[in-house]
Amino acid sequence: MDNLAVRTEGLTKIYRDFWRRKSTLALTNLNLSIERGEIFGLLGPNGSGKTTTVKLLLGLLFPTSGKSWLLGYPSSDLKIKSKIGFLPEESYLYKFLNAEEILDFYGKLFGIPRKERRGRIDKLIYDVGLWPHRKRPLSQYSKGMLRRIGLAQSMINNPELILLDEPTSGLDPIGSYEIKNLILEFKKQGKTVVLSSHLLADVQNICNRIAILSKGILQVTGSVQELLSQKDVIQFLVRNLSLNDIQAVENLIKNKNGSVLSIGHPSSTLEELFVKTIQNQS
Amino acid sequence: MFTILLTIASHTFREAIRKKILHVLIGLGILIMAVVSIVPTADGPDARIKIMLVVFFQVVVVLCMVGIILLSATSLPHEIEDRTIYGILSKPISRLKVIAGKILGFTLVSAFVLVILSFLNIVAVLRITTQLPGKCQDILKARNECKVSEFSIQGKAHHISEGIVWIEGGRTGIAVWNFSDVYKKPGSKFSLEAEFHVKIESSGDFINTIPLAVRIENAVSGQGKTEVLSGKADEPFNVKIDPDIVQDNSAITITVFPVHRTDYIGVTPGDVRVFSVQKGFVSNYTKAVFITFLKFFLIVVIAVMGSTYLSAPVNILSSLIVFLCGHVLDFIKDFSFLIQNHDLHGHSSQAVSREPNIFLIYLDSAMEKVLEWFSVILPDFKRYDSLQFLLKGINIPLETVEISLGYTALYAGICLIISSILFKKREFF
Repeated sequence: MDNLAVRTEGLTKIYRDFWRRKSTLALTNLNLSIERGEIFGLLGPNGSGKTTTVKLLLGLLFPTSGKSWLLGYPSSDLKIKSKIGFLPEESYLYKFLNAEEILDFYGKLFGIPRKERRGRIDKLIYDVGLWPHRKRPLSQYSKGMLRRIGLAQSMINNPELILLDEPTSGLDPIGSYEIKNLILEFKKQGKTVVLSSHLLADVQNICNRIAILSKGILQVTGSVQELLSQKDVIQFLVRNLSLNDIQAVENLIKNKNGSVLSIGHPSSTLEELFVKTIQNQS
Repeated sequence: MFTILLTIASHTFREAIRKKILHVLIGLGILIMAVVSIVPTADGPDARIKIMLVVFFQVVVVLCMVGIILLSATSLPHEIEDRTIYGILSKPISRLKVIAGKILGFTLVSAFVLVILSFLNIVAVLRITTQLPGKCQDILKARNECKVSEFSIQGKAHHISEGIVWIEGGRTGIAVWNFSDVYKKPGSKFSLEAEFHVKIESSGDFINTIPLAVRIENAVSGQGKTEVLSGKADEPFNVKIDPDIVQDNSAITITVFPVHRTDYIGVTPGDVRVFSVQKGFVSNYTKAVFITFLKFFLIVVIAVMGSTYLSAPVNILSSLIVFLCGHVLDFIKDFSFLIQNHDLHGHSSQAVSREPNIFLIYLDSAMEKVLEWFSVILPDFKRYDSLQFLLKGINIPLETVEISLGYTALYAGICLIISSILFKKREFF
């Protein structure tokens, strides 16, 4: 069990109304295992149970039935929260504080010693690109800036497991790209990231494994590679072939009873083009 | 544990400052006190001081308390509504600590407001007092009452009516009070005085003032002094006690009788009080402010308790109702008593006996129970009324402070347990 960062067994959540009558089945019998060190994507449309899952893991909601473990400990264990970072789906932050103050507040809640806290605050503010704005109250921040400082607060305790709920929502392509790079950096540091999102491109680019939820039910889970690969289709990516050579290869494939589905130039993503353009300009 | 509490408390405090709530409370308090200190009064020279004290404790403090209720009743519901609570509850902190931290924060806010405003109030009071004639400065006394150990009538009483013993003048009867625990330390700054509240009457034409013979003597040696003083209707008078009378045995006897045969005095055991007087107004004032602070603390605990379960507007309303009812607890108790004795007062006894209405009887009984429970459950804020001590120049006994502290601790402890249970069960959608 210790190798698992997150484990749930039959996790179920039923929302009830004031009279305790069953009103919504938010999550049904979720069995999930997330290995340490992987980036795991929780996918699904709005209302599919992604945020409910994250809240159940954090103890903000109580399961109707089932159990969950984080880093080998029951998720209800308070101590385990010191190894967890959490970014909610929107940046719910105290707007009367500035970036330094908010990180200092959360750092104190983790009991991080003053000197160490100071160092981490500076580094995190710098990493999320808010250094010039660190003294401005959060009430003056744009949505993207709030998202960045939100991500920084989720990292203040140098967590082993990071739960990110829609981390790129509200960010422009550059911000989104930088956040994705940061998440990949977390992976390099051996941290486990659980990413809840409905932006499929985000998840596809950075996640090792995914789970798709719909109406509170786990529909599919597995590695991104495995789930997306078309086993009966082969792709070659080559460089420096003349038109004649291309024709020769196509003929060879046909001779071997293969069928060529498409021949063309691969295109990069719009995000890559955008980032490249903006970065060249600056 | 304490670091976490302090972190949440200082965060709460900072929120109150950044949102300018403290500024408003303190500014409003200063404005009210400034107006009171300059508005002319038609009463005696010491009336302004009394007004300043009354306005501070009954207007400024109540205003601040309402401000603190609004703050503490809405803080947690707003955090839940804004979902900033996620940021705290996803950290390794128990929910009890979150509540305790909030309470501590608002307690600090209350203390801050109270210290600043009470400091300004006492400075203003002391400054104005220095401009008063010496006699009027008596208002700043802090007197300790010496309990009467024995009360008796020597000779015969004229009649007794409603617990009051009436004595005819001309030495037919003498009222005697013994005080055994009066202690006068030689050379100390204490002095002693006796306060007389005797009722007077005259069989002649209506006379507002009668001569009274008052003797104050050492109960053992008999050494003492007799004076003839003017006793006024409905007006207590004070007599300074000669320090030489009170020796180490600490027992004195006070006797009073009307000089003329046509005059009468009505007396009870509590009509003569002996006080040791000291110039301890500042320490007495500090005790009064501390007791007021306990009241602030209790209302903060109650408001935070409500905020663990109720929405902000409902919690404001319920906290204000508790605050109000806590001040009229005596009335609630009396009302309950009236219902209990409904049949005894003839108000409806005949009607009931003729035509007993079972519904009304049950309603009465239910109301009685509800009011009884209310008076038990609601906090007794009257217990924190320390202004009367200051106005009467009586030193607030240490027991009063201790009892207030104990009551507050007990009530707050129970509220904290309830808050913890409610908040532990709460889910955040």
